[in-house]
Amino acid sequence: MIRTELKRGTAELAILSVLEAGPLHGYEIGRRIEQQSDGALQYTLAALYPLLYRMENRRWLLGEWGKGQNGKRRRSYRLLPRGRKMLKPMRAEWADLFQALRRVAKVTHA
Amino acid sequence: MPDWRAHVRDHLGSLRHVRAEEEEVVCELAGHLEECYAALRAKGMPEEEAFSETCARAGNWEELRSGIVSAIEEGTMNDRVKQIWVPGLVTLLSSYVVLTLFQRIGVRPMVLHPGEPRGVVLYLPWLFLLPLIGAVGAYLSRRALADGWRVYLAASLPALALGAFFLLLFPLAFALDRQVPLHIKGTALVAMTVGWVALPGIALCLGVALQGLSKRRTASR
Repeated sequence: MIRTELKRGTAELAILSVLEAGPLHGYEIGRRIEQQSDGALQYTLAALYPLLYRMENRRWLLGEWGKGQNGKRRRSYRLLPRGRKMLKPMRAEWADLFQALRRVAKVTHA
Repeated sequence: MPDWRAHVRDHLGSLRHVRAEEEEVVCELAGHLEECYAALRAKGMPEEEAFSETCARAGNWEELRSGIVSAIEEGTMNDRVKQIWVPGLVTLLSSYVVLTLFQRIGVRPMVLHPGEPRGVVLYLPWLFLLPLIGAVGAYLSRRALADGWRVYLAASLPALALGAFFLLLFPLAFALDRQVPLHIKGTALVAMTVGWVALPGIALCLGVALQGLSKRRTASR
């Protein structure tokens, strides 16, 4: 299991990546990340929502209220052009970090 | 199904300073927990276990509360800067630069009741340019998604700044200079306010209205 502090740093990239496919609401964002990481990345509300609101402040995302599948009000988030633009440099940054870790700490893929 | 809204409200407590957003935050978090609980139940997890698993996924409530408050405050502050202070500073600086330029090149003001200390001083070319400056301020403010009073406040900041300056300066002048009769001081204050606050303010607001009108026309095409 990945420690909370480590996961926090990955959350921005994870959120932007799952939203690349289309708008999702908060629960769906968390669930997709969990599914796609085979359960390794799980975010609590305390980790997810303050970050979503911050990313919205930076105009990376736009939160919009609508009706969910059960007819209740749900806020869904969609990626804005500024957020989409952030994805490429962020991915490159993480790739550099993994490469550096591989060299220094002999971290390899499982 | 547990009452997740009440659960969130109990655990989250009051979102001080950001009460306007509190209801939406509670609704959003409750919706998240509700879906999480429903998904666990759909997998066949017993009610009690699903409830405690959902609660565990909420994480630390104090951390959540402070994280949300600081994120919302940060957003509000960013919005205020982009919607009011940046456009306000642009209108303030450009209106004073233009006025100084006119004075430097020798544009003479029109003075109503010349020769009296109570005359209204009007720099007409400056007044005619103010709607344009107001429109620029309104454009910048609206571009940052501001509307209503925020746009007017940003665009009319030069007039408001002068108004505030007069409000501070005149009581002091009244107190210090006791030789000039009070009625002359009073009418001088009115004359200054008309020439430097009211008319420039109206000109700037006219610019805001015209910019809004042109924006609506462009949007409807």
